[in-house]
Amino acid sequence: MNLQNQLDPITRRAFCERWAQTALGVTVLHGTAGSLFAAEAAKPSAAPSGPGYGKAKNVIFLQMMGGMTHIDTLDPKDGPTQGPKKPLGTKAGFQLGGIMENLAKNADKISIIRSMTSKTGVHAAGQYVIRSGYEQRGTIKHPNIGAWAQHFKGSSHKTLPSSVCVNRQPQNGNGFFPTSYSPLPILDPDAGLQYAESDASPESLIKRLVLLDQIDAGFRDRFQTTEVKAYTQFYDKTMSIMTSTDLEAFQLTDEPDALKEKYGRNKFGQGCLLACRLVEKGIRYIEVAKGGWDMHNNIDDALDEHGAELDVALSALLDDLKERGLLESTLVVLCSEFGRGPKINGNGGRDHHPKVFSTLLAGGGIKGGFIYGSSDKEGMAVADKQTSPQDFLSTIGWSLGLPVDEVVMSPSNRPFTVGDKGKPVMDLFA
Amino acid sequence: MKTRLFLPLAFALLVTGIKADNEVYRTWTDTQGRKLEATFRGIENGQVFLQVRNGYVYRLPLDKLSAEDQQAAKTLKPEGLGIPADPNLAQAAARIDMLVDAGLKKAEQKSNPLASDEQFVRRVFLDLAGRIPTREESLEFLNDTSLSKRAKVIDRLLNSEGYNSHLFNYLADMLRMADISQKVRFYTYQDWLKSQIADNIPWNKMVYSMMTADGKLLENGATGYLLRDAGMRLDNLSLTLSTFLGANVSCAQCHDHPFADWTQRQFYEMAAFFGATETFGAKKGPKSEDAAMMRKAVASLGDQRMQKQAKNLVQVNAMAIDDGEVNDMKLPDDYKYSDAKPGDHVAPKLVTWSDDKSKKAYQGVQTKSEEDLRSQFAKWMTSPDNPRFAMTIANRMWKRIFGVGIKEPVSDLDDPNASVNPPLLHHLAAEMVRVKFDLKQFMRLLCNTQTYQREATSHELADNIPYLFPGPILRRMSAEQAWDSCATLVVGADVDKFKSHRGEQYSKALHIEFGKDASPETIKTQIETALTNMRGFAGKAQGNPKNNAKKKRMMKQAAGQGDEEDLTISPPVRDGLVLARASELPQPEKDQHFLRMFGQSDRQIADSESEEGSIPQVLMLMNGEAQRVIGQNDSLVVKTASTQKTPEQQVESLYLSFFSRKPKADELANSVAALGNGLTMRDLTWVLFNAREFVFVE
Repeated sequence: MNLQNQLDPITRRAFCERWAQTALGVTVLHGTAGSLFAAEAAKPSAAPSGPGYGKAKNVIFLQMMGGMTHIDTLDPKDGPTQGPKKPLGTKAGFQLGGIMENLAKNADKISIIRSMTSKTGVHAAGQYVIRSGYEQRGTIKHPNIGAWAQHFKGSSHKTLPSSVCVNRQPQNGNGFFPTSYSPLPILDPDAGLQYAESDASPESLIKRLVLLDQIDAGFRDRFQTTEVKAYTQFYDKTMSIMTSTDLEAFQLTDEPDALKEKYGRNKFGQGCLLACRLVEKGIRYIEVAKGGWDMHNNIDDALDEHGAELDVALSALLDDLKERGLLESTLVVLCSEFGRGPKINGNGGRDHHPKVFSTLLAGGGIKGGFIYGSSDKEGMAVADKQTSPQDFLSTIGWSLGLPVDEVVMSPSNRPFTVGDKGKPVMDLFA
Repeated sequence: MKTRLFLPLAFALLVTGIKADNEVYRTWTDTQGRKLEATFRGIENGQVFLQVRNGYVYRLPLDKLSAEDQQAAKTLKPEGLGIPADPNLAQAAARIDMLVDAGLKKAEQKSNPLASDEQFVRRVFLDLAGRIPTREESLEFLNDTSLSKRAKVIDRLLNSEGYNSHLFNYLADMLRMADISQKVRFYTYQDWLKSQIADNIPWNKMVYSMMTADGKLLENGATGYLLRDAGMRLDNLSLTLSTFLGANVSCAQCHDHPFADWTQRQFYEMAAFFGATETFGAKKGPKSEDAAMMRKAVASLGDQRMQKQAKNLVQVNAMAIDDGEVNDMKLPDDYKYSDAKPGDHVAPKLVTWSDDKSKKAYQGVQTKSEEDLRSQFAKWMTSPDNPRFAMTIANRMWKRIFGVGIKEPVSDLDDPNASVNPPLLHHLAAEMVRVKFDLKQFMRLLCNTQTYQREATSHELADNIPYLFPGPILRRMSAEQAWDSCATLVVGADVDKFKSHRGEQYSKALHIEFGKDASPETIKTQIETALTNMRGFAGKAQGNPKNNAKKKRMMKQAAGQGDEEDLTISPPVRDGLVLARASELPQPEKDQHFLRMFGQSDRQIADSESEEGSIPQVLMLMNGEAQRVIGQNDSLVVKTASTQKTPEQQVESLYLSFFSRKPKADELANSVAALGNGLTMRDLTWVLFNAREFVFVE
C-alpha cells in the first residue's frame, strides 16, 4: 500500500503538513548520533587514494551461511578431492566448480580470492568475523561495513534507511554505532517490509496520528531528552517510510515474472533481485544471506539444490546490474565463514575447513576474469597470497571509499578501524 | 587510599546531619517535659511521626505530647511524602538521602520535587514488579489515604511474583542466559536461578554456588554459569571479573591493559584458579570410563541418523564440571612480555586493587590444593570484605531503579573514586554488606529514599557533567517491562501467574544413568527412550508454553477438571502472541518477537539489552500484533473501559490503564472529540500505546 496515493488531496495536504519535514529527520538523526563519535575520532589520516578507491557507491554483501565448499564452487580441484562434479572451463581461462554453469558464462565479470583463511571453525564465530572483521566478544558489538559507511558518509537515501539485510536478522549490524545505523531487516523478500501497512484505514490512521501528536505534546515538552526526541524522530522516519513514494523499492510485485524466474524462485534468488532494486533506489548497503551450506552429509544432493540456487541468482544479479547500468558503481561480494575440507567424509559430505577458502568480488572497480591467490593442490591450505577476513573487509571498505586506516573510538573508548587493520587487496582493482 | 579519606567525611555528614532546604525542624515536648528536635512527618490513627536529624522516625501517641504540640501536630503540614513503616529503615534511607544531598549541594544543584502519587505508582510497579499497574492497582494506591502507603506498596511488590520475574530478566541479561548454548538446553540453569530468586538467597551465596558448582548440568543447574562458556574459560573469567567485581580486564586477556593497571600476566594468574576445572565434555575426570561406555553404546545403535542424535544426547549428559588434579593454565603462545615465556605454567594469584591487599578477604587463601582452587577463588570473590564485590552489585541495583550508575559503566569499578559521588558509593557497598547481600532488603532501602521518590529529571543529561541524582532519570522501559506491560493491558494482574518450569521436564526426559553397573544394553534402552523424549524438545514443542499449555489443558480435561482458563497452567494466546511474562518465554525470544524488536538482549553479550528505538520497532508498535491485541474487544483495557457510560469516563478509564493517571482537561477534550469524530476505542488504545508517555518510565 502506498498510503499517500490513497488519500484525497485535502487530507493528503493536512497530513503532509505534519510529516513533510520527516525527510529532515534523517539528517538530524545522523547529525546528532554521528557527532558523538566524530568528536572522539582520532586525527584523520590524509584521504587515501589509489586504484579503485571509492569506485563503489553501493555494496551487495552475499553471505553464505554454514561454510560454502570452496572446492565445489570457486576453487575446483581435479585430483582425488574433486567432489561430485567435474570442474568447468571458462572464457576467462580459469575453472569453476561443476555446479556453477551460469557463473562460468559471467567469469569475465568476477574476481576470486582463493587464499582466504580464518582462525575459527565455529559457525557463529566465523560468520561474525567475516561480517565485522573482529572476533566475537562478550563485551562489545562490532559494526558491519554498512554501519561504517554510514558513519563516514552519512545517510544514502532521504526517506529509506541506508542499510538493509535480507533473509537475516540485523544481529547488531550497527555494532557500537547508534541503533539507527542497524540494517533494516527484510525476512521474506516476497513479503517485503514487515509491518509497513497500517491495519487502520488511511483516514483513521491520520486521525490517530493527529490525536497522538496532540496528547503526546505535553510529555514531549516536559521531557526534552535525546531519548524522547530520538523516538519522535523514529516515528517521523517510520511515517516517512510508510508514506515514501520509494516504498515500492521493497515490493517485488513490480518486477516482471520473467526476471523473477531468471533469479530463481527461492528466497535467495528473490533476495538478490530485491538487492538490485534497492541499489537502484539508492540504498547503499544490502546484505543477503543464504543458508544450507553446512554440507556434512551427501554433498552431491545438497549442491544440486543450494549450489544451483547460488549460481542462478548470482549470475542473474550480475547481468541485471549490468543491464541497469549499476555494475560499475556497485560492488558485489560473496563470502562464507569458512570452506569445507578436501576429504569426503563417511556420510558423503565435507566438514568445516577454515584453513583455506574462497570469496568472490565483482563490479565496483574490481577486475573481471581475475584470480587472486591460490590454495594447494588438494584445496587443503593456502599456497600463495594468504588473505584474512580483515583484508577482505578492508578491500570492500576501500572500494566504497572509506578511510580504512582511521581509528574510531567506541563509546567504551576502545579503538577500532574498518576491517581491523586489514590490508586492502590492491591487485583486485582494475 | 582515597577511599579512607572519604569514609570519615561520610560519617561526619551523618553525625551533623544535612538539613535539606524543604525540611523544617522544630522542638517537640512531651507531657513529661522531654524534648526532641524533629521534623513533622504526619499523623495517623492517633500516632504522631517525628523524624530526627539522623533520619530515625519516632512514633508517639498524640496524647503523650504537650498540649501545644498536640495542636501543632493537628495543624502542621507534614514534611515529605508519607512514612516508612520501620523506623530503622527510615533512618537508613535518610542516610542515603543525606549523602545524595551533600553531593548535590557541593555542585550547587537542587534535588527534583517529590513525585506525585501517579508518577510514583507507575514507576515503582515497573521498577519492582517489572510491569505497569493495572487500572485497579493504580486506583487502590491512589485512593489509599494512609501515611505509609508508599512503604506498603513497596513491601507488597517486593513480595510479588512480578519481583522474581523482573529480577530474573535483569540477571538473565547480565549472565547471558540462553535456552541453547553449544547445542544443549540450559533450562535447568534458568530454573535454578529462578528458585534462588524466589527464595531470596543472598547474592554472595548465589554467586558462590555458581563459581563452585559441580556435576552435571541436568542435575545441578548452578553449573550453568561455567558451562555456558565451556571450553572458553578465559572469556568466562573475563566476564566473571567485570560482571561481579567491576574489574575491567577484557583487554588484559590479549595484552597488558593500556589504561588501567592490569597486566596480561595478572589475568592468567586469575585464570589459573580455574586451571584444574574441566568443563568441556568432562573428558579427563573420573567420568572418562562412563563416557567411553556411552560412546560404545552409541556406536551399537542401528542407523546413522539415530547415532547422530544419540551423540547430541551424550553431549547433553556429558555437560558437567569436574575438578582434576592438574592445573594446566599456561601463558599464551604469543606472550610478549619479558617476565615470563610463552607457554609457561602460571600459578594462581589473586588480583589486588592498589590499597586493598590488607583486607581480610585475602587472608587464608591457599593455592596449594588444586581441587580447592575454585572454592578459594569464590570465597575471596564473594567475601563481604572483598573490596569490589558488594560495591559492584550495589551500584548495579542502584542503576536498575535510578537509570544510571553512581559509577559507569557498572562493569568498571577499578577506581570507585572516579564515580560521581564516592562517599555514596562506599556507603551503598557498606549497606549491601550490612543487609548481608539480601537484594530484596537492599531494594526496599533504595525505594524508601526520598531520592527515589522524586520526579524524574526532565532535562537533557550533559555528557561531561556528572549526574548527581536530583532524582531518577527518565528511562525507556526495558524490552521485558514493555512486553510484560502489554500483556498486563490485555490480561491484567493475572499475567504474573504462569510459570514455565522447563528444566525439570527436560532433565527428566533426557537424563541417562551410566554408572558402573549399567550394561551396554540398558544404556542403549535408556538412549532410545531419551531420544524419543528429545524429539519433543527439538522443535518448538516442549520448550514452547503454547504447546505445553495445550497438553496440560488436555490432561486436565481428561481428568474431568473442566476447561475454565487456569492461568497458572496456560497463558492466554492472542493472534499468535503468548501472553506470559517475558521470564517464562524462550530465552531469548526469537528474532521477530516483540521482545527482541524492542531490544531484548540476544544473550551473547553481557548487559546488552538495548533501550534504543529503531524503525522496525516503531513499525511494529504502529502496525504489529501487540497494538492489535491490546485494542481488541477481549482485551482487559477495552472491556473495562466499555463498561463505562460516558465517553469522558471511557477515556479516563483508558488513561488510568495506560498511564496510571487521569487525563488532563485538554487531553480529555481532545480524546472525547476524536471519539466523536470517527475514532473508536480501539483507535484510542493505539494512540495511548504509541505515545512516548507509554514507553518511558517517569
